Amino acid sequence: MAAAAMVAAGSSDFSDLREIKKQLLSVAERSRERGLQHSGKWAAELAFALEPLPLSELPPPPVLTEEDARDLDAYTLAKSYFDLKEYDRAAYFLQGCKSQKAYFLYMYSRYLSGEKKKDDETVDSLGPLEKGQVKNEALRELRVELSKKHKAQELDGFGLYLYGVVLRKLDLVKEAIDVFVEAAHALPLHWGAWLELCNLITDKEMLKFLSLPDTWMKEFFLAHIYTELQLIEEALQKYQSLIDAGFSKSTYIISQIAVAYHNIRDIDKALSIFNELRKQDPYRIENMDTFSNLLYVRSMKPELSYLAHNLCEIDKYRVETCCVIGNYYSLRSQHEKAALYFQRALKLNPRYLGAWTLMGHEYMEMKNTSAAIQAYRHAIEVNKRDYRAWYGLGQTYEILKMPFYCLYYYRRAHQLRPNDSRMLVALGECYEKLNQLVEAKKCYWRAYAVGDVEKMALVKLAKLHEQLNESEQAAQCYIKYIQDIYSCGEVVEHLEVSTAFRYLAQYYFKCKLWDEASACAQKCCAFNDTREEGKALLRQILQLRNQGETSSTDVAAPFFLPASLSASNTPTRRVSPLNLSSVTP
Amino acid sequence: MRGRSGEQPPRALLSPERLSRARHVAAAPSWRRTSPPPIGCDAARATAAGAAIGRREGGSRGFPGDGRPGAAMASVHESLYFNPMLTNGVVHANVFGVRDWVTPHKMALLVLLSELGRAGSQLGLLERRRLNRLLLPLLQGPDMALSRLRKAIEECCPHLAGSVHIRLKLMAEGELKDMEQFFDDLSDSFSGTEPEVHKTSVVGLFLRHMILAYNKLSFSQVYKLYTALQQYFQKDEKKDGADENEMELTNPEELDGKMEKEELDGPLREEEIACSGPLSQKQAEYFLSQQASLLKNDETKALAPASLQKELNNLLKFNPDFAEAHYLSYLNSLRVQDVFSSTHSLLHYFDRLILTGAESKSNGDEGYGRSLRYAALNLAALHCRFGHYQQAELALQEAIRIAQESNDHVCLQHCLSWLYILEQKIFDSCVLLEHSVNKSLHFGLPYLASLGIQSLVQQRAFAGKAANKLMDALKDSDLLHWKHSLSELIDISIAQKTAIWRLYGRSTMALQQAQTLLSMNSLEAVNVGVQQNNTESFAVVLCHLAELHAEQGYFAAASEILKHLKERFPPNSQHAQLWMLFDQKIQFERAMNDGRYHIADSLVAGITALNSIEGVYRKAIVLKAQNQMSEAHKLLQKLLIHCQKIKNTEMVIRVLLSMAELYWRSSCHTIALPVLLQALALAREYSLQYLASETVLNLAFSQLILGIPEQALNILHMAIEPVLAHGAVLDKGCAMFLVAKCQVASAASYTPQKKIEALESAILNLNEAKTYFAKVDCKEQLRDVLYFQARLFHTLGRTQERNKCAMLFRQLHQELPAHGVPLINAFK
Repeated sequence: MAAAAMVAAGSSDFSDLREIKKQLLSVAERSRERGLQHSGKWAAELAFALEPLPLSELPPPPVLTEEDARDLDAYTLAKSYFDLKEYDRAAYFLQGCKSQKAYFLYMYSRYLSGEKKKDDETVDSLGPLEKGQVKNEALRELRVELSKKHKAQELDGFGLYLYGVVLRKLDLVKEAIDVFVEAAHALPLHWGAWLELCNLITDKEMLKFLSLPDTWMKEFFLAHIYTELQLIEEALQKYQSLIDAGFSKSTYIISQIAVAYHNIRDIDKALSIFNELRKQDPYRIENMDTFSNLLYVRSMKPELSYLAHNLCEIDKYRVETCCVIGNYYSLRSQHEKAALYFQRALKLNPRYLGAWTLMGHEYMEMKNTSAAIQAYRHAIEVNKRDYRAWYGLGQTYEILKMPFYCLYYYRRAHQLRPNDSRMLVALGECYEKLNQLVEAKKCYWRAYAVGDVEKMALVKLAKLHEQLNESEQAAQCYIKYIQDIYSCGEVVEHLEVSTAFRYLAQYYFKCKLWDEASACAQKCCAFNDTREEGKALLRQILQLRNQGETSSTDVAAPFFLPASLSASNTPTRRVSPLNLSSVTP
Repeated sequence: MRGRSGEQPPRALLSPERLSRARHVAAAPSWRRTSPPPIGCDAARATAAGAAIGRREGGSRGFPGDGRPGAAMASVHESLYFNPMLTNGVVHANVFGVRDWVTPHKMALLVLLSELGRAGSQLGLLERRRLNRLLLPLLQGPDMALSRLRKAIEECCPHLAGSVHIRLKLMAEGELKDMEQFFDDLSDSFSGTEPEVHKTSVVGLFLRHMILAYNKLSFSQVYKLYTALQQYFQKDEKKDGADENEMELTNPEELDGKMEKEELDGPLREEEIACSGPLSQKQAEYFLSQQASLLKNDETKALAPASLQKELNNLLKFNPDFAEAHYLSYLNSLRVQDVFSSTHSLLHYFDRLILTGAESKSNGDEGYGRSLRYAALNLAALHCRFGHYQQAELALQEAIRIAQESNDHVCLQHCLSWLYILEQKIFDSCVLLEHSVNKSLHFGLPYLASLGIQSLVQQRAFAGKAANKLMDALKDSDLLHWKHSLSELIDISIAQKTAIWRLYGRSTMALQQAQTLLSMNSLEAVNVGVQQNNTESFAVVLCHLAELHAEQGYFAAASEILKHLKERFPPNSQHAQLWMLFDQKIQFERAMNDGRYHIADSLVAGITALNSIEGVYRKAIVLKAQNQMSEAHKLLQKLLIHCQKIKNTEMVIRVLLSMAELYWRSSCHTIALPVLLQALALAREYSLQYLASETVLNLAFSQLILGIPEQALNILHMAIEPVLAHGAVLDKGCAMFLVAKCQVASAASYTPQKKIEALESAILNLNEAKTYFAKVDCKEQLRDVLYFQARLFHTLGRTQERNKCAMLFRQLHQELPAHGVPLINAFK
């Protein structure tokens, strides 16, 4: 049966959805038999998204071998113990079982028992230093046994997966990757192995050198890892093609797309997708923390409050729930409570990275900078690639008025997200504070070039040019800025627009371009703070015009755009980090 | 952070023996952070280049790659050792909470104590005393293996060791209740009318701590402790068995070696660390402070960078809160010049530190703010160390601003010293330094003040201030050092004196000072127990020593010293550049003496890499020797302009001398004269006596050629004395040769009788010159001398001697190619 599944999964196209559905159903069943709940869930979810099969085509119940039959009693007993989380007991009754299924369950129970004891152990260790030393004692033995089996090639796909997990827990990353790849080859349908692989691959280069089985599962894997590696464009493409292939109802894919949009800060799209997801799957808790982040960013208090209460009703002891509630309190400016809930989330899962960062933000709000620094540092320890934590650290030091010191942190964040304008603007501001105007200009310019989210980079750049008496460049920046603002239809901040017009009016005035100057001056009159100036300028223009009517006014310079500005459209592609200064790490 | 300037006594966390050491270790870092420009050392000249080092940077546009930090940097590195958390010699306890934990090792100690109480009266006085002396380090030291502990006890009292072992064995091989019973019994020692242990004694406190800690343990923790004890005991048993089998194979010294204090204090052996797995808290603390002090004082003895980093990573994996490890990892990364990871570790450390600073109530907000200031300051130091001066300045500005805002004068002083170091790279400013010295004195920071004085002295020495005043200043600051026993500064001061004496051209004085430092060190080792072995002072002094020996023609001795330097400062260590430069310079001189110009030429590249000005100068010399006059002249011209701009007087004079030489080689003596006079004036003004006498020699030679040998003889009398007293052998030879030539030349007008006398004495002088030249193996000069001597003998009609000289001359002449320079016309 395993062989059949493998052969079937060998095709990498989605033409035969029925076959795929069959495979999914059977692998869900097999995962469940082995206690691999998450993989089973994933497969079942995906299978649910496909058309139901007629009775005749349902996969046949797994064929039992002689060995399976021999171990059946022990397996049945142990499985029920296993489901009740009595791992040691399950392992005891499975000793000596030879069938693949029973053997896997035996090893897996031993592994889980070790993990569980480790968690319990951390609570009462003998000393502070021992705290970090608590290990899953079973790992070493498991590794020895599994590696023996592995050498003898007696491990099936699930066994390889478990071996990989053990290796990863022992920090043998390289070996673990190899074993997971092997597991993916042996049993491509097992999502767990792919997922573990995702966690171990840190960059695109590594991905290139993996030889992965050529199955339709690979598409899911690639889409997932592109999201992880922040290669959002590619990820979205993959997901779109999966939807086109017939998985349009899959909540998993929908949620992944929403997360992807969240990552590129396309908030509206992400929100609408999440809303859709909530409709389809109202009791879903996964990914809801991301959803709450979006609601938070948009300050949608009622929606967030509804979400929080809803989730709390479903299950209040879930990490995601705690996070949503934390966000809710944060939005209501009850930062102490928010921090409390993030702490609870961390107690539930100390490796839940988002909570550390969010807690850092909360402490920042409470002006408790040292606690914030600590929280961010924790976040970085859990995941070095967490750009938000680096950014948060930078912000903290910026608030402490250490612009030079925070450069390092912003730069780290920038390296992780080279095309995120926020880091670039932050860097630019710091350089500006340090009076390093050249670097600052570079940063603002790049921020604009990668697609400025907050639309502030151009204004800041213009002001810099203004400071440096580079009036032409300043004017160009203001023009571009105004075009940007008007083209996206919403007037974000009146103040900056009015300053832009004021500057432009004066600039044209100086250049003796009366038409443009008066146009801009008139615009100025539309804003409160520049009205008087605008009027005064208009009068002056009128006066001068009358005087110099005869002289040359027909040097009509159009509302011009410099070549450099118009040429660079906003790239959404991943760009390399800005090379700011060669000597600074 | 807390011991403001290191003056606070360290907390008595360590044993008495170690206490003094701890103080040393602890105190030093905190002073060091102050350390501004340690100017000292290299301060002076080391040869011209040395002088240039500190200041050159300013206008060195024309000489790319001129970024070597030079003198001032010495301190920079040292001050990096400032670690607020290590001020007490051990990691501050706050990080871990003050709670004590029962460990198997502690239990073994408890057993020892109870056995001691039981056996009390039967023990002899001597044994008792030895045991008591052993107890304190045991109570306060790190956990150790049972076998080691047993050996330690056996040293004092074999009988007791046996009974301790048996009790432990009973407990470990028995049941849990044995351990419980043991702890129940422990508290009995306090009861009774005449308790064995006083409650507030050291031992009593320890006992009570342990009982308390034991009682706090939860049910499962008690069981864990018991299994830990069993493992602890079994590991020892196993090891015992193994030892018996492999007695011959394993290190025998280790087995029968005495368990002495040194061994207890000595660095953990590498394999021991490697195999011990996770360290206990105390061990980790101990390991960190040990390695830190080794890095500071004797880098070669510390673990290799790679393995140290491995250890640290291991440590951090088990306890990410162990912030000090980040600091050590920062220092370690500095060793291998890794900007990225050192920055990373430094910032990580301070992020962590800020946390603990804010948490500890005693410091409150104050401590938190302070660590911020020092974080910025340290970052400045880091950038300065890597030569990112602009970045360093920005960081420093930040530190200054924050310090000003919070009115932290002490921190401001540190910033001021750093500011001086940075400014030094751009232009000379004594003003800052004077301010710094005054303020530091005012705020009671003797270390900072002293360093300031030393930098001032250095600067003034370059600026040609009166030597007696400088020496007075140094003497005064020496008084301060001895008073506060700042041994490090004493070293620097002596090294500085060595360098200054050399700058002035008094090699005997320099030699004496160098020897003082080297032999003083051995004295200190006895007294304090800390040997500062790889400080810059030692590097400087040893380098000077090597060069002094080479100058006198003791090349074997010089290379011996250099070999020692290589061992002490391995090539990747911080001060290695110093000896590398000296090594190449010595080799260069030798090659030039031998006339192997191609070898000298190949050395130029190496010298240039280490010190560009020196390199250019040497290049010019090689060109000159190869008779490529116009190229040499062009190079010298450029160099002259550059050196004048950066006010490197010593090099200016040397360049002038070389130029003058070029002129007279091209037979333009009249042009050479004003150049020489200019050089002479400069040398006199800056009291660079040695260069002055060399200039006089050149002057005399020019006069000789211009036909006024009497005049030449007159001024030669002025120069000959210092040259013979302090000069290099080669210079002595040249001087004597010149004297002989002048004597001959002026004898032309004498009466025959007097003439013969003059010639006779000239021959004697030539003989002396010959011995000098032979010493340094200068064949070319030897050949000239022989030729000249042969001519003199010929004139005197002493054919036999003449023939002998002529024969020797012929031999040499066949060996060496002639360079087309008229023999008699060369003075050097």
